[in-house]
Amino acid sequence: MTDVPNRIRDYRQRTAPGAIAIHVLGAALFVAAAGLFWRGSGLFGVPLLGMVGLTAVGWRTHQGETARGLTLLAAALTVSVMLLIVGYLLVHARDAFEHMGVELLWMLEGPFWEPPSPEGNYSLTPLLVGTALTTVIATMVAAPIGIAGAVFLSEMAPERVRVVVKPGVELLAGIPSITYGFVGLVLVNQYFYAQFQTPTIASYFAAGLMIGLMSLPTVVSVAEDALSAVPESMKSGSLAMGSTEWQTTKSVTIPAAFSGVSAAVMLGVGRAMGETMAATVMLSHSKGIPVPFFDVFSRYGETLTTVIAQEAPNATGGMHESALFAAGVVLFVSVMSLSIGAQYVEWRMYRKLGGES
Amino acid sequence: MSTIDDTGVVAGVARLRNATTLPTMALSLLTVLMGWLVLFQQVGETNEYLGLPIVELFAISVLVQGLAIGGLGVASYVGALQSTSDRTAGLFTGAFVGSLWAVVTAVLVTVVAGLRMVYWPGSSVWIFSGIPVPLGILLSLLGGVVGFLAVVLPREDLGATLPVSALLVPLGMFALVGPLTLPWTYEPGWTTVVFPGSEVLPFAFFVTSLLGCWTLAKISEGFGATGRQRGAYYLIGVSVAATLGVLGMLVYFIVDKGFATLSTGASFDGWGGRLVLPVVDWAVPWFDANLPFVFNQPGGLFVDVPGVWPAILGTIWLVIGALVVAVPLGIGAAIFLTEYVERGRITQLVEIVTNGLWSTPSIVFGLFGMAFLMPRLSNGGRSMIVAQLVLGFMLLPLVLITSREAIISVPDEYRDASAALGVSRWKTVRSVVLPAAMPGVITGVILGVGRIAGETAPLLLVFGGQPYPSTKSPVSGGKGILESFSFSLQPPFITNSALTERGTALPFQLYTSITAGSSPKPEVFSLSEFGWGTALVLLLVVMGFFAIGVASRLYFRRKLNYE
Repeated sequence: MTDVPNRIRDYRQRTAPGAIAIHVLGAALFVAAAGLFWRGSGLFGVPLLGMVGLTAVGWRTHQGETARGLTLLAAALTVSVMLLIVGYLLVHARDAFEHMGVELLWMLEGPFWEPPSPEGNYSLTPLLVGTALTTVIATMVAAPIGIAGAVFLSEMAPERVRVVVKPGVELLAGIPSITYGFVGLVLVNQYFYAQFQTPTIASYFAAGLMIGLMSLPTVVSVAEDALSAVPESMKSGSLAMGSTEWQTTKSVTIPAAFSGVSAAVMLGVGRAMGETMAATVMLSHSKGIPVPFFDVFSRYGETLTTVIAQEAPNATGGMHESALFAAGVVLFVSVMSLSIGAQYVEWRMYRKLGGES
Repeated sequence: MSTIDDTGVVAGVARLRNATTLPTMALSLLTVLMGWLVLFQQVGETNEYLGLPIVELFAISVLVQGLAIGGLGVASYVGALQSTSDRTAGLFTGAFVGSLWAVVTAVLVTVVAGLRMVYWPGSSVWIFSGIPVPLGILLSLLGGVVGFLAVVLPREDLGATLPVSALLVPLGMFALVGPLTLPWTYEPGWTTVVFPGSEVLPFAFFVTSLLGCWTLAKISEGFGATGRQRGAYYLIGVSVAATLGVLGMLVYFIVDKGFATLSTGASFDGWGGRLVLPVVDWAVPWFDANLPFVFNQPGGLFVDVPGVWPAILGTIWLVIGALVVAVPLGIGAAIFLTEYVERGRITQLVEIVTNGLWSTPSIVFGLFGMAFLMPRLSNGGRSMIVAQLVLGFMLLPLVLITSREAIISVPDEYRDASAALGVSRWKTVRSVVLPAAMPGVITGVILGVGRIAGETAPLLLVFGGQPYPSTKSPVSGGKGILESFSFSLQPPFITNSALTERGTALPFQLYTSITAGSSPKPEVFSLSEFGWGTALVLLLVVMGFFAIGVASRLYFRRKLNYE
């Protein structure tokens, strides 16, 4: 960023004085509007209207420069939405972190959750266990079958099957999660309750199965994109050496597309972890750590997402709400690290294979 | 090498091999299919075929498969069956079969030794009966390792067959002569759940027959690379078909059960009339129809058939609001990033931010709307405008990503040609780049809309009102959105009272029909009937968006390919 003075000089030389005036005035009005909005004043509309007027004037006199300013504003707003989300989560979660300390994340004996008392315990440990259980079950369903489905679609299926199944899978990926939740509640939960005598009508196992089924089409779709992006020349080379098609798939195509395939799985895991509605509807909302911890049929059922969906609409502020924001922070951090991990894997494989393909 | 004699011998051997493997393979495929049907309750587990209960038929089938697999493997090893067996069956087969061995060992340990770990309330004492959990886990891991080594170490024709056979034969035998029968139950110590034979056995038959089918496919090609190819194709093909079947069944359930609700009181009143849509007062010419579940409100005293019209309108308004927020911002930012700045730190930052926004769970957006937007826009209450903004923010990264990709993929020659004619940069963007990128942008936006139209979680926090509103308007005040704009000379100059009210939308309506605990009119619809109907309408709306998106992508892709 050492070339900032240069850039400013460059900008002033290339831009007409009228356009500079519009840029400066627009920026000032926007800052005023944002400031008023931040402070919760209803007057933020006044500078906003001013901006609309300024844009109209600018569009007639200096269209190119006005458009440039507007696109910059759009990019800046996108970044600031993200920053606001992170900032607001952290600010609101601070109380809970200070109140509970390490026990917010690691606490083995109850009571875990005592709303609405401001002095009570608010520990996320049982919710973390719940999220881990549902995510692991969902991944065990979605990852192997998802990859198999992608291999089937991109390497094995005849063209006629492919053109039907691929858009079909994308349609399935779009089914809203609440629909899966409803079917899970009415059919799957009932089935396990009636046949396996689960202690309550809800269980982590049923919810995990449903979430896995739900993230399956996403994994198939993304992994298939990665597999079919492998250049035909690589496969032909392997086939010309006398390998069978399956050997080529196993030793050339999948390794070459490994980054994309693992990104697909991570995306699926991220979706499973952040999945709210199916879990909210299908779990029992009682908080506790099952004994042994892997008892996926226990009477407990609450995850980081479901606790927010279930309790945030009626939380009355204070420590309870802060603890819900803390759950949001933990969720956000875990999903974000998965996302960054996926991008890192992709970037590394790109560097490794980039020169060859 | 390949003389005519050789080919004749090879063909003869292949015929002999096929004579044993193909009928067995057909048997195992049939068992997989029937197992799936029983597992998903399409065929009763007590049905009888050929005079025998279906479970005994399954058992015989698995037994036959197991014996055939073992026998053919040994025959190949001693040379009685010609094959091109490799030195080892491979790590993947080892891992797959090994994990099944681990599961079987775990079940055996819990059945034979008992496995119990009880937490005594009030004290921190763990009481063990039978053997402790860690030892049980260790034993089953050991079983898995033994299975893995049994597959990997011997020559392929033994490694790929005998460990599989060792799973199939005992299962078939114990299911045939007991104790693995329908009334049998498995009660492991680590959970209170009881696994009944009627559910566990079909699952076991399904999995083992899949395993058998895979192995038989390998044998039928005489092991080796071609054998493994055939095996893999069967394994993957069958499991993909089974999974697609589950997803298809799920959609079928919604359509089947939802349609019964949707068509309650429905009638087609002939061509030539006019269908007037409630609240918005649009008239659809050509025909008239009566669809009470679609056009009625859910609550209220004088409703004969409760419906979801306010929820449909609510979803449409939410989508419109989200589009107004996300499309200009997303396309603007995409233009800025591709046309006005060099690839560098700024683009990288925005890339990280968009990917972050895209993967942020929806409930977190809801928390943000609740904490930041609600106090500022609707005095701390839930409202339409906050929900529109939150959904817009969720749509934003997708619009940005797809627009950026579409703009980048416009060839630079277009820009150069325009610049060579002396056209300014912005005019080039406006009249050359954007039109060329439009198809990609539109597709991305439609797919994104499909996603946010079904989004529920943030709505609970920032939008949801009464479970069953008694007006046909999407917001609780009962007003239309467009009529509620009012202008004044006092700041903030424009107000819209309807936008600051809470309301309902299709996914939220489905959620409330689950949580409300009672149906709006129990004498017409039971709770779950109302839910199935809402689910179907939601599915139709969302699928509609997706179908348009997928179709437009196919259309544009084909068009681009021809150019």
